[in-house]
Amino acid sequence: MSRYLSIRDLDWALLLIALIIASLGVLQVYSATHDSNPRWANAWWKQIVFLAVGLILMWLIASIDYHSLLGQVPLLYAGAVLTLIAVFLIGYRAFGSRRWIPLYGFTFQISEFAKLVLILLVARFLTELKSDTLEGWELLKLAGLVAVPMLLVMKQPDLGTSLTYLPILAVGVFLAGLRWKYVVLVALALLVVLPASWFVLQDYQKARLVSFLEPDRDPRGSGYQMIQSRIAVGAGGMWGKGVTRGSQTQLRFLPVPHTDFIFSAFAEEHGFVGVIVVLTLYFVLLLQIVQNAQTAPDRAGMYVCMGVFAVLLFHVLVNVGMVVGRMPVTGIPLPLMSAGGSNTLSTFLMLGLVNNVRLRRFVN
Amino acid sequence: MEDRARGQANRRLTVLACAAALWAAAILWKLIHLQVLHHEEYARMAEAQQIRAVEIAAPRGDILDRNGQKMAISVEVDTVFVNPMRLPDAAVAAEVLAPVLNLDRAGLHQRLKAAKEEKQGFLRVKRRISRAESEQLRSLKLEWIEFEKESQRHYPNITVGAHVLGAVDHEEKGNGGVELEWNEELEGRPGTARMLTDVRRRGIEQQVETEPKAGTNLTLCLDERIQFAVERELREAVEGSRCSTGSVVVMNPHTGEVLAMASYPSFDPNKRPESGEDQAARLNVAISAPGEPGSLFKVFTVAAGIETIHLRPESVMPCGHLTLGGRTVHEAKHFFGPMSVAEILAKSSNVGAAQIGLRVGEERMYEYVRRFGFGRRTGLQLPAESPGMLRRVENWEPASAGYIAFGHEIAATTVQIAQACSVIANGGLLVKPRMVLKKQKPGGIEEKIAAEPPARALRPETAIKMRQMMELVVLQGTGKAARLSGYTVGGKTGSAQIYDFEAKRYTHAYNASFMGMAPLTNPSIVVVVTINGAHEYGGAVAAPVFQKVATEALRVLDVPKDLPDAATEETTDTERLVADAGRRDEAVAKTPVKPGRVPDFHGMTMRAVVETASAEGLAVLVNGRGIVRAQEPPPGAELPRGSRVRVLLAK
Repeated sequence: MSRYLSIRDLDWALLLIALIIASLGVLQVYSATHDSNPRWANAWWKQIVFLAVGLILMWLIASIDYHSLLGQVPLLYAGAVLTLIAVFLIGYRAFGSRRWIPLYGFTFQISEFAKLVLILLVARFLTELKSDTLEGWELLKLAGLVAVPMLLVMKQPDLGTSLTYLPILAVGVFLAGLRWKYVVLVALALLVVLPASWFVLQDYQKARLVSFLEPDRDPRGSGYQMIQSRIAVGAGGMWGKGVTRGSQTQLRFLPVPHTDFIFSAFAEEHGFVGVIVVLTLYFVLLLQIVQNAQTAPDRAGMYVCMGVFAVLLFHVLVNVGMVVGRMPVTGIPLPLMSAGGSNTLSTFLMLGLVNNVRLRRFVN
Repeated sequence: MEDRARGQANRRLTVLACAAALWAAAILWKLIHLQVLHHEEYARMAEAQQIRAVEIAAPRGDILDRNGQKMAISVEVDTVFVNPMRLPDAAVAAEVLAPVLNLDRAGLHQRLKAAKEEKQGFLRVKRRISRAESEQLRSLKLEWIEFEKESQRHYPNITVGAHVLGAVDHEEKGNGGVELEWNEELEGRPGTARMLTDVRRRGIEQQVETEPKAGTNLTLCLDERIQFAVERELREAVEGSRCSTGSVVVMNPHTGEVLAMASYPSFDPNKRPESGEDQAARLNVAISAPGEPGSLFKVFTVAAGIETIHLRPESVMPCGHLTLGGRTVHEAKHFFGPMSVAEILAKSSNVGAAQIGLRVGEERMYEYVRRFGFGRRTGLQLPAESPGMLRRVENWEPASAGYIAFGHEIAATTVQIAQACSVIANGGLLVKPRMVLKKQKPGGIEEKIAAEPPARALRPETAIKMRQMMELVVLQGTGKAARLSGYTVGGKTGSAQIYDFEAKRYTHAYNASFMGMAPLTNPSIVVVVTINGAHEYGGAVAAPVFQKVATEALRVLDVPKDLPDAATEETTDTERLVADAGRRDEAVAKTPVKPGRVPDFHGMTMRAVVETASAEGLAVLVNGRGIVRAQEPPPGAELPRGSRVRVLLAK
């Protein structure tokens, strides 16, 4: 299947939108950090470097035929699980959890890269099915494969990232023709399991859930982030306060305004109009991925694209939902905007997978 | 890829899209809710936590003595805060702060820990620390220690004038004395500012909305130097004779200006009263604690007698036994026979005074007591002034006029007595005592506090007769300890037995008192000394205080001496000279002087004296300022060869 690959064949619309969102992100990172703690003051500059590296990685992963990647899934999966175990052993601990592995002076959040492996895993598993419908035992088998890394990440503890693995599985099996009775069964099972999961949650996670329901109960403690984020978004109004003028952001009432709560800072400084523009950009970006899924040369390509779609959609909805107070605080970043190396790189790698499929859409 | 599967996937994709759209719609609606519909509300919430209204303290006005010496000033000092959220460790912080600020380490640790647990960003560790403490803390350069400027009242002379000045509470509002009574003037108006603060409550930017207006400066009538001496003498006297309380008032009888007002026990207004501490030391005894004036009151009785029943100093009164209202009136020491009015004062005869009181009669007695200002507040513009105790005449018993005549059945404050004594000193006018001389708004002009116009209480000649008799008290009577070197003095002693209200009888402790004036020809000062709980008479306890206080006050005020210093033998001569002088004031017609004899200089200015003397070829020795009040030798006498005429001038 070797043939000539041209940069011209990349999905330029997708790339353009991704870069516009990323630039707005860099601007917002700058605005939120330019006169703060020197530890963060050059975060915007670092973010540009990550974007550049991301673009290169995107091209690299796009150039390896995704069928070869799918062929390596057992190896990749084993590698991912082993690395996640390694995180426990040599991981770098910060903010109360062990998520990072230091390498060459950088710290890598392995759970972010595990997403890619899971997207490929689900795509391959579903492609190899013989029928148009998914049987129960097949679902359980696939769910078990996804559950291993998920539990490992959950144990770090990093509930937010581990939850991002779920939509890959859910969207995959749904599109693969999971019988409706299973859909209903899974929904019912979730209804039972979710309340029960209360007992395995960490204390801070419980507090976040409680404060999501009643943020004013502990306004200086667990409800603080929600309240401050809501105030920041609301104070932005229709037109926003302008770059570096958001008082909630600049006076540091807003926690982590350059990472998880970057959308809140953006909403304060750019207002409802800016928010609508960014959300529209995300919408077009996601549509573009779906379109790539629809024009994929085979089912494997479709599942790969839809896996990426599922992860990004989940990230955007959960993060923005958290910022406006529709979701509990889970601590997952807004892809392309939040400052952070691992997430930026993994997002571009995912966009690389989409391009990978696109480059091979003409089957000869 | 089969079409059927693709079709299924597309249908399922639509379902998926719908679910995602619902979720997105929920988020969008919330965004509209926050940013469009309720934007104002959230903008206000943001402002509420970011903008702090801060008060800019207006400096409190200074209190100055009559010479502009600062008696109360406000200085800027630091108050220490910490941000508990930024503390590395509460125990370490307590270890660092406690020794520098002299705080209890365990208590501070508790406070820091509690604040940290409650996630407070702001804890006041200690208010108004000293400069040394501040410098020591600043040198530590710890970022979690913060300072704020506050104003602190400071009384540089510690206890001097403490009762008059009063003190301020923790908000720098007056809680006693001038500080309380004049609080509104002194306070000024604080300005306001809007401070933009970050999440750690650090001020980022301050926008002044209204400028602070500094308080008004007050100039008191007090003279710090006299006040200091008065307090020292009062303390020594009260402590020396193991008495309980005491008070002294020094007053200018012509203007009513109170030059010194002291009470014992005293306090340091720089120190805040600790809870449970005895507040008695903060009582301004001179205005708030009336007592029976006792024999002092005989002066006012005699003055009433002169004006109503034509008493003269030499009128003789029977001074034997007297039974008044079923009780026998005792003399303090001896039994006296019939005495002149002047002797009644000089020897302080209770029976004599009672007889005069009874003869004056209760109506007129009451009227004169009121004329001297008793039974109502002097209106000194100090808080907690007592009006004393004087029953309305309708409520008097038959014997009351007799008892009031020697200062019983009536209570008066030291300042009321000073006011009454001033009537005699200034020639018969009731001049209200005043404490505040003038006020000055910062940057404004000085504004004199208007004095009430005086009311006439006595005829001038009555006042002069009283002064002559009061001089005899000092020269020959009970007040010998009050004699001054270089000045003529008039005075009266008082020793009122303290009435024990529980046992309903008089005890053997006295309110020992002395009131006096000097120099007698034209008194510059009136001094009243009251010492409560004394075991000796006023002449022994209070008169020496008068002597020391008056000597110092006259020296400070630079009052010209009207007598040679006591060391010389001429004292008695001059005493006589000045005593005569008063009498001669009354003599309206001047006898023409034969040529070659000493002319009558009385009433002349210094320039006139010098002109007349040079015309007559006489040598004159001039002393004092004003007009001639006394001369030696008297007019018409032959002047021995080689000697000079001495004239004494006074205002």
